[in-house]
Amino acid sequence: MKKIYIGILSILSLAFLSGCSDFLNPDSREKVDAGDSDEVYTPEMFINGTYGMFTDWDYAFSYLAITDMVSDNSDKGSSPGDPGGDKQLFDDLTYTSTAGSLESMWKRWYKTIGRATQAIEYTESYGLTDAAYKNRLIGEAKFLRALCYFYLVRGWGDIPIQDKDLSTRAPKEEVYAYIEQDLLDAIDVLPAKNEYASKDLGRATKGAAQGLLSKVYLYQSKWQQAYDYATTVANSGIYGLEADYGTVWRASTENGIESLFEIQARGESIAHGVQQYSQTQGARGETGWGWGFNTPSQNLLDAFNAAGDVVRRDATIIFRNSTLWDGRVVGATENPMYNYKAYSSANAGSDDTDKNIRMLRMAEVYLIQAEAANELGKTSEALTALNKVRTRVKLANVTTTNKDDLRKAIWNERRLELAMEHDRWADLIRTGQAAEAMAKAGKTFVVGKHELFPIPNKQILEVPTITQNPGW
Amino acid sequence: MKENKSIPKTGVWKKYFLFLFFTFSVGLLGAFAQTKVSGTVTDASKEPLPGVSVVVKGTTNGTITDIDGKYTINAQQSDVLEFSFLGMKNQSVTVGGRTTINVILEDDTHLLTETVVIGYGTAKKADLTGSIGSVTADVIMKQPALSPVQSVQGKLPGVSIISNDAPGSTPSIAIRGLGTALGGRDPLYVVDGFPVDDIRNISSSDILSMDILKDASSASIYGLRAANGVVLITTKKGREGAAKISVESYVGIKSILKKVKMANASQYIEYFNQNQDVLGAYHLAPASEQAYNTDWYDELIKTAITTNNVVSLSGGGKNVDYFVSYNFYDEGGILDGQNYQRSTIRNNNTYKFFNDRLKFSQNMNISFSNEDIKPYGAFNEAYRQSPLVPTKYANGRYGASFVNKTTGVVGYEGNTGDEIGKLNSIGNPLLTLDNANQRRKTLTIQGGIEGEFKLTDFLKVNSRFGATKYYSKDRQFTDVRNAWLNADPRRTDSEFDALKEANPSVTTYANNSLRLEDIETYRWVWEGFLTFNKKFDKHTIDAVAGLSREKIGVGDITTLKGYDVPAKSQYWNIGMASDAYTNEVSQYSYTPRTLASYFGRIQYNFDNKYYVTGTIRRDGSSTFREGGDYWATFPSFGLGWTISNEDFMSNVKFLDYLKLRGNWGKLGNQNVPINVSQILTNPGSSNNNYNYVFGSDQGLVFGSAFGTPAVPMSWEVTREWGLGTDFTLFDNRLSGNFDYYNKTNTNAILKVTPTLNSPYEDNFYAHGAKVRNSGIEAALAWSDKFGDGWTYEIGVNYSHNTNKVVSVVPTYDGATGGSLADGEITKRLQKGQPIYGWWMLEADGIWQNQAEIDDPNNAKKGSPKPGHIRYKDQNGDGEIDDRDKKFFGSYLPTYNYGIHLGLGYKNFDFSIDGYGVGGNKIYNGLKHGRIDGGENITYDTYKNRWRGEGTSNSNPGANRDSYASSYFLESGAFFRVNNITLGYTFNDLVFSGSRLRLYFTAQNPFIITGYSGFSPEISGYSTDPTISNGDPSGTAGIELAAYPSTRNFIFGVNLSF
Repeated sequence: MKKIYIGILSILSLAFLSGCSDFLNPDSREKVDAGDSDEVYTPEMFINGTYGMFTDWDYAFSYLAITDMVSDNSDKGSSPGDPGGDKQLFDDLTYTSTAGSLESMWKRWYKTIGRATQAIEYTESYGLTDAAYKNRLIGEAKFLRALCYFYLVRGWGDIPIQDKDLSTRAPKEEVYAYIEQDLLDAIDVLPAKNEYASKDLGRATKGAAQGLLSKVYLYQSKWQQAYDYATTVANSGIYGLEADYGTVWRASTENGIESLFEIQARGESIAHGVQQYSQTQGARGETGWGWGFNTPSQNLLDAFNAAGDVVRRDATIIFRNSTLWDGRVVGATENPMYNYKAYSSANAGSDDTDKNIRMLRMAEVYLIQAEAANELGKTSEALTALNKVRTRVKLANVTTTNKDDLRKAIWNERRLELAMEHDRWADLIRTGQAAEAMAKAGKTFVVGKHELFPIPNKQILEVPTITQNPGW
Repeated sequence: MKENKSIPKTGVWKKYFLFLFFTFSVGLLGAFAQTKVSGTVTDASKEPLPGVSVVVKGTTNGTITDIDGKYTINAQQSDVLEFSFLGMKNQSVTVGGRTTINVILEDDTHLLTETVVIGYGTAKKADLTGSIGSVTADVIMKQPALSPVQSVQGKLPGVSIISNDAPGSTPSIAIRGLGTALGGRDPLYVVDGFPVDDIRNISSSDILSMDILKDASSASIYGLRAANGVVLITTKKGREGAAKISVESYVGIKSILKKVKMANASQYIEYFNQNQDVLGAYHLAPASEQAYNTDWYDELIKTAITTNNVVSLSGGGKNVDYFVSYNFYDEGGILDGQNYQRSTIRNNNTYKFFNDRLKFSQNMNISFSNEDIKPYGAFNEAYRQSPLVPTKYANGRYGASFVNKTTGVVGYEGNTGDEIGKLNSIGNPLLTLDNANQRRKTLTIQGGIEGEFKLTDFLKVNSRFGATKYYSKDRQFTDVRNAWLNADPRRTDSEFDALKEANPSVTTYANNSLRLEDIETYRWVWEGFLTFNKKFDKHTIDAVAGLSREKIGVGDITTLKGYDVPAKSQYWNIGMASDAYTNEVSQYSYTPRTLASYFGRIQYNFDNKYYVTGTIRRDGSSTFREGGDYWATFPSFGLGWTISNEDFMSNVKFLDYLKLRGNWGKLGNQNVPINVSQILTNPGSSNNNYNYVFGSDQGLVFGSAFGTPAVPMSWEVTREWGLGTDFTLFDNRLSGNFDYYNKTNTNAILKVTPTLNSPYEDNFYAHGAKVRNSGIEAALAWSDKFGDGWTYEIGVNYSHNTNKVVSVVPTYDGATGGSLADGEITKRLQKGQPIYGWWMLEADGIWQNQAEIDDPNNAKKGSPKPGHIRYKDQNGDGEIDDRDKKFFGSYLPTYNYGIHLGLGYKNFDFSIDGYGVGGNKIYNGLKHGRIDGGENITYDTYKNRWRGEGTSNSNPGANRDSYASSYFLESGAFFRVNNITLGYTFNDLVFSGSRLRLYFTAQNPFIITGYSGFSPEISGYSTDPTISNGDPSGTAGIELAAYPSTRNFIFGVNLSF
């Protein structure tokens, strides 16, 4: 009798002992297991998602504050009673570490870096057999990652490198080295602009990476390298200047000869662009079509007038009661001036417009080439490059061979050529003109403090080991 | 099953109870022709002892002593009589020709004899090396509540229970502190050996004992689910003997324990107008011109009735023991219409074969519940709604906060051109109740069968299978039309009809909606284990080894929603919903979770002096299948030394028993959230940042991104060590224990909000913190008797716990929580602080005048006005922002204590129990939140407010800001008299052996607290079963719409025969 019971129990026990690994793998019911899913996420989708970050709303508002409004080129705009969150603080140079615009852009760039890194990892492990295609995708992501790190390092100086250590700030030299490496890698693998299929127009190219790298070197005063890469782009035979400066920011020149890199947009349904970029900067008032933020300043207008620069002035500024190139009558708007470069003819003040945002274009490459050449003592090359830009806008050639005068001429040329293109503040800081320029604009620039943005307060609260910049 | 361990400690009536018990337990007299022996059995103080078992050794011939301690038995001269009584030392006496044998029994220590359930077996308490808190049926029954856990609040040191007085609710329980934020916080409940999620389906009167495994060395036998402690519940079984019937019945009247006095109409008006002065807005007319003065709490809160009726039948014979019970529990709520009813039927039988060598025990419990659920939001509304608003207008519509701003009279009426506005955005609490029509019915069938076979006298094998089937049906009916009409008394049915016609298929204008939710789940467990128990000379070894398989969460959920069903509840069928609207249907099956485990335990002692316990459990859980990391091992050991059994202690007379214990162990928590690695896409949509545009034709391409990282999750592993001592002194009159523990959750899971500079966009779960709970537990009990029939007992217990986040992954530090309704946050997780400690601005006086505010040396937040709270600029940077927020302790009490006083005289019994906590802080969220300034305030807020320069430097004026600050943080310390009971027992009424006890109990009659809200006990319980109880990052410790504590007067009758 006893044996029977023991037998039964033993058998029962054994039955449960066997098949244990199956037992611990119950069928998934709530969620479709990855293996059973029909959905396929290609590496290219993750790369696209990284580009997609650049169409975020942050670029239509916060970005304007920390690049343009803060500078002498533009004012907050809109109605006096509408501070646009913290925008007035930037216009007044009184922002603090709690400013939302700083936090938004800091976060946006880091999240974009995150997407780029994840896209790279996904692409590497996905098992693509076409090596060139795979490398291109990785190169695109590295370009975008480098672009974001560049924005961060020039804004804040020492910053955490995301895939190394989130809790300590890496010296800016290390960050620049990281950016350079990403761009060098990208240059190696990215196709030239004319090697892309038509449907892929707008992706990062070899030329874009070279152009950006020359700018990165410029920010580090590595004149020779800056000169070399600018020259490489100039000599590639792919890029040149649009004949008419007025068309540079219009739909007709999108991804045209002058374009190294731009944020892509479409105005037709389903419209997708930098969300509300044209709307926030559109003319305000009954006859207007937008919110009227980021308006060109009197200071900028004076600078155009002082240089006798009619072509660029009239292509950069929408004046109250004027008529636009497409025949639109501006009418009696609330503010006297608006940013012409944000204007979309086809979609005006829609949420998403056809406005491609030019991030890097050939005219700037020439100016980088000119500046680097001047520093290297290649005065005639510097003059040649500079005057290419001036000739287009019907200004007389600069002829000075004095290094300092030429440097100043190039800097001023940058201001006028790239006005309202989100470069002015960083350029002022880079060139050391900020204190003087701000004084002229009636703002108090504290030397030793305002060269860098404050690390967003929230970031320091989250990670107390991240130190604050001096003076903040 | 060893000796019944529910034997109570002392108290005269308890002895009578035993007497009755034994009357039925012991077989009838044998039929030999022998000498009649009789006598009296007394204790050391000459008190007669009823119910003492008197058995002729080696036979089944026996009897028990009667009420006067007298017995009569037939025995031969050579026979030996054995006298035994639980809690007393056994005595054997040879008859030797005497006909009268009087015996004095000596007390034995309870610790030596008390048996506790330890998981896969039982042990004598004296043999433990760990810390187990045990309560018996009488303790649970004395403090009636739906959940037996709530009944033992304050009885066990180290077991912190935040009670909840809502019908059908469960208390939140933390054993030796809270070590996890997002992992399961509840202890593991094991009922008769079967793990369960919920014990609300068990009638408290069916419970024989509840044993709580507090320390790692005890709990690690349940390895992967033991980190929060283990609650073992043993239900009653029949015992061999005649059938016994027991009837228990009580009725209770429940009312709110602590009411908060609100401002009345004129006070409200004064306060309101002062705020309006600051805002430069209209004034309310004086109270004499207002039509209403509503006391919303009077209108809202009712007295509720609770009834409980139990009938049980038990007994047993040579082959079968049986226990059958039926319980009907009906608990009303203090909100109108709120109710919880439950019926349970239990049948526990044991079948015995081959002289008890083979036993089958079968348990079956069927429980139906029927719950009418009302939203607690009504409490919040009653607090905030203005007393000027009527409950109902003359036209029958519910009052709303309309005010004629032109005349300043509250109401919707006025002359043409008068501006009609609203005082506030608060609803009418009575409308909220009226419109909430939710009923949930559940059926739980729980049962198991266990076979036990004794292979030899020292080896037995058990195999058991248990299962629970659960059905829940939830029905929610919302009268959309009624809500729409009552939002404004001027609205008419025809207006609604017009809107309905203009917006066909828009559900906002459906007459009503009906939502049905059906949940069906099933779980089973199978366990087999071998038990070895042998004594060799002075060595005693108990060992158990076994395995278990468990599958949880087999089932599905179906949700249906339809619109425009007929108004009468009898027709509330989705099939009768209108075709004009789309019915919403959702159904999915749960992914089951499976567990596989192997376990073993050895308990060894040498000469009852030196004890060693070693336990190991290896667990596999399907929870972690994504990472493939199924298995983990949880070892523990314990050491014990009974000093009082050493020879050198024999001279220490006052010391009866002294034991030192030490233990260490590792425990797991597999009930953790798992990251679902989410890929974000949004094809076709423009308004997102996944998609992009490429190509000369500017084509839209779809992109994707990882929302959350696939951070692999694993067990939360807790390591614990502890030391303890148990002692009894002075002839066992004083007993007590003292424990120290140190328990660290080494990898608590946090919901991480990615830092700004991290790659991730969405929140995700990650192992990120070490949380330590360390503390002491102490209990002392004294019992004695005096005079003629008086007995008394005094018990106190105290526990102190320090909760601390010892370390956090740097970039995970600083997760915030405790979000109030207006978006202000109050808690933050940070190293060095208690888990989710209070974190907010420090109130620092009141702005007295504009000059103070304008002084650039004074830091301020926003644009304050005189009468607003000033905040302390902690970092001295001249600004008030998040950097000036400070930690202010925790909602978790640092200490709690219980006291018990018992007094018995003859047939009377009387007891008082109290419970208190301290060291915690409660956020008065009701006082905090003012959205539009037209909300009501308490009388104290009205009375103490700032009224102008110099009137107050601590309380803000009528106009104030709404930042979370220490001003609203109050001490959560309280002492509450939990229970006062007076009982009287009639013995042998009508039948000999019958027992009738009448009692009167006052539950929570008094509370002493400085807290200004309704209840300092805020568990964060929600009627929504998907919201877990007491999430520290949620509203635990914040009074927003918490259910107030109640006072309950109970009259009851227990009858058994």
